Amino acid sequence: MENLNWGLQMTVLGMGLVFSLLALLWLLLTVVLKLDKEPVEEETKAAPAQETAAAAEGAAAPADDAVPAQAPERPMVNGLPADLVAAILVATHKHRQTMRRQAAPLVRAVWPGSQMFASRWLATGRARQTNNWQPRGR
Amino acid sequence: MIDQETIGLLLKGVNGVTWQSVVMICVSFVLFYLAIVKDYEPLLLLPIGAGCLLANLPLSPLMDEHGMLRVLYEVGVENELYPLLIFVGIGALTDFGPLLENPKFVLLGAAGQFGIFLTLLLALMLGFTKNQAASIGIIGAIDGPTSIYVSGILAPDMLGPISVAAYSYMSLVPIIMPPVIYALTTKEERAIRMAYSQRKISRRTRIMFPIIVTVMVGTLVPFATPLIGMLMLGNLMKESGAVERLTKASSNEIANMVTLFLGLAIGSTMGGEKFLQTQTLYILILGLLAFGIDCAAGVFFAKILNWITGGKVNPIIGAAGISAFPMAARVCQRLAQQENFDNFLLMHAMGANAAGQVASVVAGGVVLALMGAG
Repeated sequence: MENLNWGLQMTVLGMGLVFSLLALLWLLLTVVLKLDKEPVEEETKAAPAQETAAAAEGAAAPADDAVPAQAPERPMVNGLPADLVAAILVATHKHRQTMRRQAAPLVRAVWPGSQMFASRWLATGRARQTNNWQPRGR
Repeated sequence: MIDQETIGLLLKGVNGVTWQSVVMICVSFVLFYLAIVKDYEPLLLLPIGAGCLLANLPLSPLMDEHGMLRVLYEVGVENELYPLLIFVGIGALTDFGPLLENPKFVLLGAAGQFGIFLTLLLALMLGFTKNQAASIGIIGAIDGPTSIYVSGILAPDMLGPISVAAYSYMSLVPIIMPPVIYALTTKEERAIRMAYSQRKISRRTRIMFPIIVTVMVGTLVPFATPLIGMLMLGNLMKESGAVERLTKASSNEIANMVTLFLGLAIGSTMGGEKFLQTQTLYILILGLLAFGIDCAAGVFFAKILNWITGGKVNPIIGAAGISAFPMAARVCQRLAQQENFDNFLLMHAMGANAAGQVASVVAGGVVLALMGAG
């Protein structure tokens, strides 16, 4: 019986303490979250970046300007819309590939390190050896 | 040439077999089965099974004074090092963001600790001593490292069954929780949709959270400092992003290594003579009850919150206020979806679950403080 009384006291005290401590934590977290709200200035600072982005986008695709302002916010990368950056990246890669194909023999159209052909260094060496202006055997 | 003495030496192992060791070897096979076939907490149950098997083989040298299992026990369990190191890893893996979005769910974590104290009462009724009853009650924290830490201090002789119960029931979350939730909630309650707050949690707040919790809990419940300190250290490392290598090491290599050592050391405490007692059966039953009471108390508390807020809290998430992270939250989401497929409660349940992690550590510290140990 004595043990049971002790157990009941433990239960009341224990749960009381656990609840009080966590309620205090709730209070502290609420205060911290209130104090550490994102400042409004940051949003206004972000505006020029958005304007620049809008201008760039406008130059790339004038038809997009017709889209009203209530369109959902688009993800940005370094001040430019993410889809625009992705389009620029794809165009750059395509351009580089085209340039490589036009400017170089077949072996150079394949990326360095590819197993399909020998390395560029080796291929160039072989080509030089084959097409050397010096007479063979010298 | 081969005399009686030589034959005796050759058969020493066979002669050393006792019925208790045979039963315990079978128990280790059950643990292997649960870990490998049923996939119940295999990371811990498999090493525990291995430790149990190795400790119960006749005349096992691993259990000698300088045997590996004995050394592992003395190095990390006797001085509480392993559970604390595991806590660093848990902290590094836990995202407290959902809790920070809804700080009021901290109270659901507190409600999820009722099982500790009610089980303590039941254990006292069954004739356990105060220290033993508190150690059995702590299974109700549904937190393996906390159970090991507290019972290692209060009742080291019961560490084996308590750890096995704590980890087994943690892995049985998907089986134990649903019947309790179904019994205590109506279909309408389970279908309640909860809106999400649009609050953005800044990096600064995420970094401040572990520091605030450590200072607050450490000051008010010094007995909980080792547990909360290590948990929050892991979280601080994760959120700061300044020590990526340490975060990765804590949540992978260190946690894995310590889990192996801890499992083997715990398994080695499951010697036949000590383990095969009626009290082990009581511990396993009381552990299961503690788990059920935790879930029920959480659901009841969430119902009260639902009533106070005018029907804005789904009572299911109350059951996630235990420490089994993130399994409890996932089970809540599954149950909510069974009533309404479009109901997405997961992040609310994760908030309650993260609160359960903090609350179980606090409860462990409170138990130690009230017992005057530490």
